[in-house]
Amino acid sequence: MIRVQEEVFDVGAEQRALSEGRRDIGALVSFTGLVRDVNERPDVEALTLEHYPGMTEAALGEIVEQAKARWPLQGVRVIHRIGRLAPSDPIVLVVVASAHRRAAFEACDFIMDYLKTRAPFWKKEHTVSGDYWVSERDADHQDARRWEMSS
Amino acid sequence: MPVSNQPLTHLNARGEAHMVDVADKPESRREASASGLIRMRPETLALLAEGGLPKGDVLATARIAGIQAAKRTHELIPLCHALALSKVSVEFDLDATASCVHVTARCSLNGRTGVEMEALTAVSVACLTLYDMCKAVDKGMEIGAIQLDTKRGGRSGDYQRAAGPDPRAPGASLIDTPADPIVTGEVASGESGLGQRSLTAAPGIRVKCLAELRERLGIGEISVPVERLPSSDVAGLKTALKVLDPRFEGLDQGRVLCAVNQVMAGETTPLSDNDEVAFFPPVTGG
Repeated sequence: MIRVQEEVFDVGAEQRALSEGRRDIGALVSFTGLVRDVNERPDVEALTLEHYPGMTEAALGEIVEQAKARWPLQGVRVIHRIGRLAPSDPIVLVVVASAHRRAAFEACDFIMDYLKTRAPFWKKEHTVSGDYWVSERDADHQDARRWEMSS
Repeated sequence: MPVSNQPLTHLNARGEAHMVDVADKPESRREASASGLIRMRPETLALLAEGGLPKGDVLATARIAGIQAAKRTHELIPLCHALALSKVSVEFDLDATASCVHVTARCSLNGRTGVEMEALTAVSVACLTLYDMCKAVDKGMEIGAIQLDTKRGGRSGDYQRAAGPDPRAPGASLIDTPADPIVTGEVASGESGLGQRSLTAAPGIRVKCLAELRERLGIGEISVPVERLPSSDVAGLKTALKVLDPRFEGLDQGRVLCAVNQVMAGETTPLSDNDEVAFFPPVTGG
């Protein structure tokens, strides 16, 4: 299940929704991304997240499908927030359910790497010294390439 | 009508929704037709027939909407497969007696799954578009009787709707069904086709600039007629944009990505009328 929303999400509720009524799930791995107050410049006061409605959902869906093709998964939830967020706010949640932990850990890692390099979201940071659009990071692309070499 | 004992194919052994694997089904000729209608005030129907509505050529627009919707059914209905339709036609019959427009859609392809959902979606969206185009003068319009009429091909066999109460009022309609459909689109596999009538209503290629690129160029959205493109691909669109507005020179500065109809694309990705093209900087979510 994929959601793009302005509202905050409840990690516990999302985990419960994924595992409720299931007896075949042995591992539930979740990743929550938070807004930092230091990024390209110090003193980040807020950031605004823009996305491309329609393509965002399709791109996230494609990433989840790829994860399901690589690992035996019992369920996946991806929630990404949009709009204006402040430091310490949760911004992204990925929850992966599988029978065993290795698949769940790896699939969660994979989904985040692909989300950061393929899903159409853009961050604009508001700092004490002005506003700017965040640049892409080479480290994110290196992270995503790990999955190509190992497959 | 008795309920069939056949299991629901979209539920798996656990009763969960799933997409049916059709890879092993043989390809065959599939056809489906569906119909529906939208009732309106006689004055609204008269305006529609005369072309006097504020939003312009209502039927041509509704026809394109129906064809586009048929092609995008898999994006709307969760467990539908994406199909390379070989033909979609949408026809309108203005019925003055019953004061309504009858909408009929036919879809066909050679493939592994049926096209009923595509035909029903085309009718539904054509009706919604008729509503949108006419709502300025008539908010009380009513959409109804959307149904599958015929279906041919596939393992589940042919289907023909049993003759039921005709949604049309008794008596001959004042405006007969034209011998030739008012508008149809007949196309090669997977492509959108444009009937002659629709050319004037063609909205062109819709271009969007997103995020940092939108602010850097100072341009959000623009529509470009296909005729302006020196070649029918993304490279041709970029050339046409720079001629239209020199600010588009900025498309060549830094890394700019492109998506056509919301799928990542390159310079040689082909474009046709109604396509949505977005330019944007590298992504930075997460």
